[in-house]
Amino acid sequence: MISQLLKTLRDGDGFEAALVLAAIGYLLVFAAFPLVYNIVMSFQEVDMFSLASFDRPFRGLDNYRDLIQRPEAWEILRNTIIFVSCSVVFQLGLGFALALFFQLDFPGAGAIRGLFLAGWVMPGLVVGAIWKWIFAGDFGVLNYALHSAGLIDKNIFWLSDPAYALAAVTIANIWLGIPFNMILLSVGLAGIPEDIYEAAELDGANRWQRFMSITVPLMGSTLGAVISLGIIFTLQQFDLVAALTQGGPANASNIAQYWSWQMSFQTYEISAGSVVATLMIAVVVVVAAIYVRSVQHEHSA
Amino acid sequence: MIKATMMGLVLAMAAVATAQAEPVTVKVWALDEPTRITETFAREFEARNPDVKIDVKLVNFANIVNDAVRAAATGTAPDITMIDNPEVALFASHNILLDLTPLLAQSKVIDRNDFYPGPIANSTWQGRIVAIPRGANTIALYYNADLFKEVGLNPDQPPRTWAELYDAARKLTDPAKHRYGLVFSAIASEEGTFQFLPWVQTAGADFDTLGSDGALRALQFWQKLVDDKVASPDVLVYRQNDATGQFAAGNAAMSISGPWELPTLQKDAHFTWRVALLPGETATSPRASALGEFANAIFKTSAHPAEAFRFLEYIYSQAARNWNEFGMLPANRSAAPQDPKWPDAYAVFVEQMKYARGRGPHPLWPQISKAIQTAIQSTLTHQSDARTALATAQASIDKILKK
Amino acid sequence: MKRSLLTGVAVVLAALYLFPVYWMFVTAMKTSGEIFQYPPAFWPASPHFQFRAVFASYNLGRYIWNSLLIATGTTAITIVLGTGAAYALAYVRGFAVNVALFAILMLQVLPPSLMVTPIFVAFNQVGLLEWPRVAVVLATAAKTLPFYIILCRATFTQVPRELRDAALVDGNSRVGAFLHIILPLARNGILITGVLVFLQSFGEYVYSRSLIADKELQTATVGLSTFLGADANDWVGLMTYSSLYVTPILLIFVVLQRRIVSGLTSGALK
Repeated sequence: MISQLLKTLRDGDGFEAALVLAAIGYLLVFAAFPLVYNIVMSFQEVDMFSLASFDRPFRGLDNYRDLIQRPEAWEILRNTIIFVSCSVVFQLGLGFALALFFQLDFPGAGAIRGLFLAGWVMPGLVVGAIWKWIFAGDFGVLNYALHSAGLIDKNIFWLSDPAYALAAVTIANIWLGIPFNMILLSVGLAGIPEDIYEAAELDGANRWQRFMSITVPLMGSTLGAVISLGIIFTLQQFDLVAALTQGGPANASNIAQYWSWQMSFQTYEISAGSVVATLMIAVVVVVAAIYVRSVQHEHSA
Repeated sequence: MIKATMMGLVLAMAAVATAQAEPVTVKVWALDEPTRITETFAREFEARNPDVKIDVKLVNFANIVNDAVRAAATGTAPDITMIDNPEVALFASHNILLDLTPLLAQSKVIDRNDFYPGPIANSTWQGRIVAIPRGANTIALYYNADLFKEVGLNPDQPPRTWAELYDAARKLTDPAKHRYGLVFSAIASEEGTFQFLPWVQTAGADFDTLGSDGALRALQFWQKLVDDKVASPDVLVYRQNDATGQFAAGNAAMSISGPWELPTLQKDAHFTWRVALLPGETATSPRASALGEFANAIFKTSAHPAEAFRFLEYIYSQAARNWNEFGMLPANRSAAPQDPKWPDAYAVFVEQMKYARGRGPHPLWPQISKAIQTAIQSTLTHQSDARTALATAQASIDKILKK
Repeated sequence: MKRSLLTGVAVVLAALYLFPVYWMFVTAMKTSGEIFQYPPAFWPASPHFQFRAVFASYNLGRYIWNSLLIATGTTAITIVLGTGAAYALAYVRGFAVNVALFAILMLQVLPPSLMVTPIFVAFNQVGLLEWPRVAVVLATAAKTLPFYIILCRATFTQVPRELRDAALVDGNSRVGAFLHIILPLARNGILITGVLVFLQSFGEYVYSRSLIADKELQTATVGLSTFLGADANDWVGLMTYSSLYVTPILLIFVVLQRRIVSGLTSGALK
């Protein structure tokens, strides 16, 4: 019995199953509890001093109803959609473009590409402070550059003008996300064998055709992974908002994750904060479902 | 002063008597501050009290309330924690702080009648004193005396009313030199509320009457400062120390902030700066200013309340050092420093302290404060007009007050 | 000629991208007045350095050591648990795999700032807070593991299945095929993802701040936050401190990633 078990673990389907179960087991122990905890709180009346117990008054969907009726709810939803979609599109686009560019064979390509990792290494606190100075309306470098280039004649108040605040946070977030996209897509590109391209070139395919017919399909699983993780990372971005605008002016740059934090930790409306977190979990359900579908597609290809 | 010296003697004698016993450890959570104030007091206290060990954990400003709440909820609370004065009510309303009233009645060190009314009011909940203010803070008007002279203003007569403030700010504003007349903080955090309420109060209103004309005039005045570009629109994202940074760098000729900025200004400002009382709405309006600073509270769960209280007594006994060493005023009248640094500024802040009013107290103060911040920010950016914004804020605050 | 032109373009792009990093270094050498000056000073009038003072007075060596321990522990757990799972999820098909992938993505959805309260409550209950650095490692690994699995899985899908099937036909066990045939071919992706995980956990802040009470065990990022106080911000000190800790890491990984990305995988596949 036991030897059979050992055998399937070493050389049967049990091997793969054990590998996956070990990882999922770990995650269930350390990551599932906080999720469940948040979801439970979203249906309860939570007092900040009752955080350590589950025994709290049940409120059903009332918390959700209250949240939707808040005047800022729709603005924040809209901001979140803009923030996430713009961040992901530009991070991916610029990251992919840079990955392709550094794939060209030129002196120093490897080392220079490595410098882009800086965005991933810099501590959040420092990134926040620096972007705050770059965007500062009166003494910021960005306005100075735009001025010198003759693009503006009046300073833009990136952080305190409701028309620009969300854009400022998004730009800083794109900056942060580029290295992640670029470096992983670079690895994916390096994994595509040269001879496939050579064969296609012999067949007379031009650069664009080769990109669309070879690169994109072969990068499929990497792209799927990078995009879905990109969306999740963007939904977790939080330091930048705290450092740059605090979601202001008057919620003009507030996004779901920051709002959730504000309610849970600043105004102590923990139920409402948990409702937002739970709704974000619901969004990720959709992202995860799309990812899993794309994975199935990759199998049939 | 004499009291403090006696206190030292008494403690020293007590120490000799109990030196044999195993020392008791008192856990203290304190703000992480460059002056290292709590650590300094802890080491001094330990030297005089070998029977007590003070274990200080430093927590940063943004997290101290949340950490303390979480600790209280999970049974890992320290003996003493520092609480920002508008949030004492939040803790007290949950009945987790030790009632200090009986201890104070017996204390030979702390005289509860010696406190300024503002600080002690914010440390009191339903008639019981639940925290000891470690000091007090308020805000005033800093101004660049050199620039006053340069534009023909008299630095000996700083603005006393809103109208004078506006005129001075207007004269001092110089876009060619990238200079604003005034800088302050209208940020979407407690600091914004802290800076705004005195303007409302001098106009005869308060946080629970935001729908009134006085509050409207206050907000419209702030709006005019930003609209007319005598203050930068970026005041919406400046913390108070960012504002002082602008003042010190010469980007603004006047600034509104507290005594904690004095060391920074001494180091960074290369001009003559002076301090004046916060202008009232008119010459006859009531004066008002904000009341800041933390208080020390003992959790009910503390196993060593007597030792913890002795440490709070020691901190109190040292309040005369607050100004010169730690950048804040004492919270009690008798603790005036002998030889204050920046004597002119000291005189102004002591005077200003008389008009300082606490925020709340209310257990849901953070929610009230948030409503005020939103009103300020939506008005200054013209997403809403002042009257509507204040009416909205008042409606949310009414709902909170009714709870 | 054309190739050096490309190098020129690359340098310009990198310079644009690295501007915020440059700004960190320059600010570290400015006076606090110069930070807010207009027009902005692209080079301080009289650069002053306080690197040595900051390093010594802020206990930076100790903090960096703690950060290194935590990052190493997190990366080790992540790679050990994640690599096999990623491999299995890449090679096995079926409904169960879909469910597993779905669960893995789901389990990392909340930002640490929202996860930390329940984690604190639970860890406190089971006594894990007695070993604060271990607690941070365990919590952080739960954050990095899904990320690592999803990305490594993508790498494994690029290794042709035929290689594994051939290895099995040749008489290798499944364990053997995984360890000796597949793993070396996917080394590239594993290493680069491992590097990203390492860097991410090196910069971890929220869990360290909340779960570690003892200052001696605290990490570099938490040390960094002491420059921003309630009353005063020491911007120059903050930038000096972060320059000190970012520079060596950045240099090491510039060198490392070059070897990794342009490593052997593509060659071996031919």
